[in-house]
Amino acid sequence: MNARAQLVMLWENGAMSFRSILSNKVRAFLTALGVMIGVASVIGLTALGHGASLSVERRLSTLGANLLIVYSGEPRGTSLVRQRTTNIAPMLTADDLAFINSLPSDLVVRTAPESSRNGQLKFENRNTVATVIGTDPDYPAIRNFQPMYGAFFSQLDMESRRNVAAIGVQTYRELFPDGRDPLGETIRINGLPFRVIAIMEEKGSPAQDASVFIPFTTYRRSLSGSDNYAIINIQAASTDVMYELQETIENELLRLRRVPSMEWANFYIANQMDLIGTVTGVADTFTLLLAGIAAISLLVGGIGIMNIMLVSVTERTREIGVRMALGAKGRHVMTQFLTEAVILSAGGGLIGVGLGYLFSWGAQRFGRLASVVTPDSVLIAFSFAVVIGLFFGGYPAYRASRLDPIEALRYE
Amino acid sequence: MISISDVRKHYQMGPTVVHALDGVSLQIEAAEFIAIIGPSGSGKSTLMNIIGCLDSPDSGSYELAGEEVGELLPDELAEVRNLHVGFVFQTFNLLPRATAIENVELPLIYRGVGARRRRAAAEQMLERVGLADRMTHLPTELSGGQRQRVAIARALVGRPSMILADEPTGALDTRTGEEIMALFEELNRDGVTLILVTHDQALAAHAGRMVRLLDGLIVETRAGVAV
Ligand SMILES: Nc1ncnc2c1ncn2[C@@H]1O[C@H](COP(=O)(O)OP(=O)(O)O)[C@@H](O)[C@H]1O
Ligand SMILES: [Mg+2]
Repeated sequence: MNARAQLVMLWENGAMSFRSILSNKVRAFLTALGVMIGVASVIGLTALGHGASLSVERRLSTLGANLLIVYSGEPRGTSLVRQRTTNIAPMLTADDLAFINSLPSDLVVRTAPESSRNGQLKFENRNTVATVIGTDPDYPAIRNFQPMYGAFFSQLDMESRRNVAAIGVQTYRELFPDGRDPLGETIRINGLPFRVIAIMEEKGSPAQDASVFIPFTTYRRSLSGSDNYAIINIQAASTDVMYELQETIENELLRLRRVPSMEWANFYIANQMDLIGTVTGVADTFTLLLAGIAAISLLVGGIGIMNIMLVSVTERTREIGVRMALGAKGRHVMTQFLTEAVILSAGGGLIGVGLGYLFSWGAQRFGRLASVVTPDSVLIAFSFAVVIGLFFGGYPAYRASRLDPIEALRYE
Repeated sequence: MISISDVRKHYQMGPTVVHALDGVSLQIEAAEFIAIIGPSGSGKSTLMNIIGCLDSPDSGSYELAGEEVGELLPDELAEVRNLHVGFVFQTFNLLPRATAIENVELPLIYRGVGARRRRAAAEQMLERVGLADRMTHLPTELSGGQRQRVAIARALVGRPSMILADEPTGALDTRTGEEIMALFEELNRDGVTLILVTHDQALAAHAGRMVRLLDGLIVETRAGVAV
């Protein structure tokens, strides 16, 4: 047969398959239902998994971009969120900070040291307790924690050791329950007067919202008396250099302390990459698990197709006999039934893709779940459906193609 | 054109062996009209199916246009059926979900003929058998005689060298049967080789030659009156 004749055959097979499927719509629907559900669940469930992982990543990124935090003290897990490290002995020195600041700009973008302790706050007759954090003007940029009203203290405030305070939103609510504009008001921190210059944005965690930020210089003079820092926040130049940067800092700080290894160190470094890696790793495992379950349902859908195709071949034995008597070869019959199986599975797959999107949309709209359909899952699920049609349609089609024409014609 | 010699076919039915064909030899010339008659179970259909390359004999030789059919592969047999044989069955054997014209087009589909030429050829054949106004009807929307005409158009559309009709009027009333026979005779006059299986003596009288089968054996050969 020449190429044109092959094309004619292929086209006719498609047309015949469509006609045969349309002639029994209910059965076709039920046959493809398994594949539909399989494809929909692959897409829907991976969308949920992916959505969960994305929302975790998003939340982590609110901590700040490319964040590396050097903590005083022994390593206790590598949590970036674990702190408030209130009242830990500040053991990071000005030399430590100077070294980090001396690193090239393709490693370190900016740094902000900080120390903190609990303080007693007072305004007029209102009292509250908050974490008082002495830090650097770069802190908001590094920790992605910006004032929502007013402006954070400046380098000048820092150099002049001014008594200015950027207050957390919860602290603001405690001290100013009447909701008045606090800028310019004077509050007292452990009895010392501070002028309010900003309200920080709401982060949703009490550790961050019940806080007061003051220049580190002021903090050192008025509250701690120590030159050391409890924490040094570092913004790395990119995610690619974060591990390299961590190692560089660890080595130098160990050297400065004359300590052989991190086991003996009085500091540790938390790396944002670790956290993102752990959490997205869990989410990815979860996604894989869901996809596996969904793939099994797709497989079951394929078996459903095989089942119905076998019934269909038996029912149409006589038709196959007639076709063979008129000159159909084995492969003609084979491709006819294969085409039918693939149309069923691909059609089911297509509807499944729609259902998957619908499921994802519904989960977001009504279940309030983060759900993001990934193009990969659509592509994989759909191709898998087609392959399943070919695979499970293959056996019935083969059986049909091997029928003896005379037996088939005589079949009642 | 057809040369059959000492062809045998038997079926094992439990303990007994049924000799459907028990050593049949027969020559059929191109453009001949031959009738095969005999009582039910005498082996007519078996012989017909062997001639049509649908079935193969257990022993004996069958040469079609000088070629030994027994040596052909299944796909080659399919090609012979497609190019050279037109079947007309007692029970019509139309595809129930396909329209008249779609049924007629089938042999051309397996020959790889494009849609337009196929349609034209099928239309021409349906006109020829007098069904110009029934082309898009489904088989269930046609009478028995009309269905058999569709089947004849389908057998003819590929311009085969022979038409094999196995009791084509068996499911039809006498008058319709006669109409179908008239159509066959007309086709034969145009040069189509026609092999007609029937158990009706009167119908067989239309043929140029008549072969009588009994228990798988040819018991009588007679030149007919017609032609
Ligand atoms: N597939 C088969 N299995 C068993 N016996 C068969 C089969 N086909 C035909 N026969 C037997 O072979 C004999 C001839 O059958 P057939 O050629 O159909 O006769 P006819 O067409 O003359 O009525 C019958 O006895 C029939 O029962
Ligand atoms: Mg018979």
